[in-house]
Amino acid sequence: MSARPYRNGRTRGGFFLALAMKNLARHRRRTVITAGAIAVGVAVFIWMFSILQGFEAENDRNMSRYETGDAAIMGSGYWDERDTFPLDMPVEDPEAILSLLEAEEIAAAPRIAFRGDLIVRYDPFPEDGSLQRAFYGIDIERDSRVFALSEAIEAGRFLEPGNEEVIIGRWLADQLGAEVGYPVTVTTRTRDGFYQIMDLEIVGIFNTSNPFINRHKAYLPIAVADEYLEMRGAVTAVYLSLPGMLPADADPGPVRELLSEFDGIEVLGFYRLNEDFAEVMEMENAGTAIILILLGIIAVVGISNTMLMSVLERENEIGMMRALGVRDGEIRWMFTFEAAGIGLIGAIVGLILGALLVWHAVAVGIDYGVLMEIEMDFRFDGVLYGVWHFTSMIAAAVFAVLIAGVVALVPTRRMLRRRITDSLRHS
Amino acid sequence: MIAVNEVHKEYIDGETHVRALRGVSLKIEGGEFLSIAGPSGSGKTTLLNIIGCIDNADSGDVDIDGDRVGGKSKKELTEIRRAKIGFVFQSFNLIPVLTAYENVSMALSLLGVSDAENRERTMALLAEVGLEGMEHRRPSRLSGGQQQRVAVARALIKDPLIVLADEPTANLDSTTGEAILKLMKDINRHRGTTFIFSTHDQMVMDYGDRLCRLHDGLIESDERRSA
Ligand SMILES: Nc1ncnc2c1ncn2[C@@H]1O[C@H](COP(=O)(O)OP(=O)(O)O)[C@@H](O)[C@H]1O
Ligand SMILES: [Mg+2]
Repeated sequence: MSARPYRNGRTRGGFFLALAMKNLARHRRRTVITAGAIAVGVAVFIWMFSILQGFEAENDRNMSRYETGDAAIMGSGYWDERDTFPLDMPVEDPEAILSLLEAEEIAAAPRIAFRGDLIVRYDPFPEDGSLQRAFYGIDIERDSRVFALSEAIEAGRFLEPGNEEVIIGRWLADQLGAEVGYPVTVTTRTRDGFYQIMDLEIVGIFNTSNPFINRHKAYLPIAVADEYLEMRGAVTAVYLSLPGMLPADADPGPVRELLSEFDGIEVLGFYRLNEDFAEVMEMENAGTAIILILLGIIAVVGISNTMLMSVLERENEIGMMRALGVRDGEIRWMFTFEAAGIGLIGAIVGLILGALLVWHAVAVGIDYGVLMEIEMDFRFDGVLYGVWHFTSMIAAAVFAVLIAGVVALVPTRRMLRRRITDSLRHS
Repeated sequence: MIAVNEVHKEYIDGETHVRALRGVSLKIEGGEFLSIAGPSGSGKTTLLNIIGCIDNADSGDVDIDGDRVGGKSKKELTEIRRAKIGFVFQSFNLIPVLTAYENVSMALSLLGVSDAENRERTMALLAEVGLEGMEHRRPSRLSGGQQQRVAVARALIKDPLIVLADEPTANLDSTTGEAILKLMKDINRHRGTTFIFSTHDQMVMDYGDRLCRLHDGLIESDERRSA
């Protein structure tokens, strides 16, 4: 006789699917516990992913809004030397570049970045008498088109063009015991390397959502910086705000095209400007991956244990079914359906639970205030918010169902290797 | 129709070798109602398992429907069992989460019979074995005798070439056991279904139209009896 004389997949498949679902109800407690483990895994995954995405988005936003813009034009080689704040590889003719960009309606803000020692006078102070900080000469009007600094003034006012004044962050002000109206002295070197001293007045204190800015940076009008540092019109960078929902979506290509005539400059995209974080983010992602793998293992161990028990306790039944001519493949499907059913219950509950957690993370956030006492390079402040990331939610649920189904194959395979007569004798 | 020819089977269990069948030959014609009798350990189960294609002989042949079973793949044997062989077990072996109806119709679902035909045939057969009105009960709500009736129906529903019943009455009291034997014999008379059943019970073996006595893995006697 031929090997497979009968074919009617629907009737048969339907039968084994129905049987699998009935088998799910055999040990409700066990099914619920296993599905619960999967649900927790799915929910925690969804929640962590949401937080991580929120964290990255917030970090990116704070970088974009206060430090890097979406892209930047710098003198060739400047970026690699940025930690030393060199003044000798600037953008020499920013006005030409700015007028070209502005003709294309691209928001651009020039800045002069330099390092200096900040001394607050008339105030008790650390022995060495000064704090080294990064200073930025900013173009008051244009800066607000790219950066959000002017919206973050907490005391006093924002800078006004041409005045010999400075604004500093709340954290730094508290450290120095400084307030609005205090005079400060900044010592630095000019573009040509000569020592220079600036006397400035604190006119405003800002408090941004970027703690790095609040701690380490001070801002003054670009004309003042230009004059004291003898920049002769050059700037260290021109920052750009580009269209795109997220900073990371911004494409610097068109700007590169537009400025291809200019020598001695380069256009850096957001990824390049954030390369310091790529590594840290990777570590962060790796940490998350480890937790996810652990959760996955818990779910896999749970379901394989449950399915092993199901398969073993039904040995006699499996033997009977095989004697009746049920094919090995059909028995495999039956247990796969059953395990996938547990996975599906877990996935649905996990989705609901995960959605609630994400909703909380989006609406209320997680207070990292305590952590903020530790000096961190990440640009987020106090409360961390999640984001909705539906692809990861669906992926987690689908993954749970698939994994559960696949895991069931292991004990089933073991059982199908036994002889039918041995299984039948077992009771 | 079924020919068992010089079948040997030895079990090796650690140091001990048990010769369960020591050269058994047997010809079974269509429509027979054959009882295989013998004390416990005489090889009844082993013989039925080999005829039923769930175990293989060490040597010798089994032909089913003119088709030699030895040398066939596991898959081919599965298909033979699926289409041609019905089993009735000592301990009923129904699927506890399925109703009487579902336990029986399962065997037809496996063959891809349409739902409508399946329903008609299953309901009719359940009525025939005396389970009318109990179709939607699960095994836990059926007595032992009723469960074995479901098992008989499950074996019969696909109109198999042969029904193999290994000690079908051993888990039943004698009255119920007799009723099952009567049922199987009735079906054998009505439908001409071939039955082989094994037993160590004198009263039960007397139901056979033909009685094979097995002892220590050998056929001791093989007699036809008038009904
Ligand atoms: N899987 C096995 N392993 C070892 N010995 C077995 C196995 N199956 C049966 N036997 C032995 O083979 C002999 C025949 O067994 P069986 O066919 O079950 O006899 P019966 O059904 O007549 O009681 C017995 O001695 C039994 O112990
Ligand atoms: Mg036996």
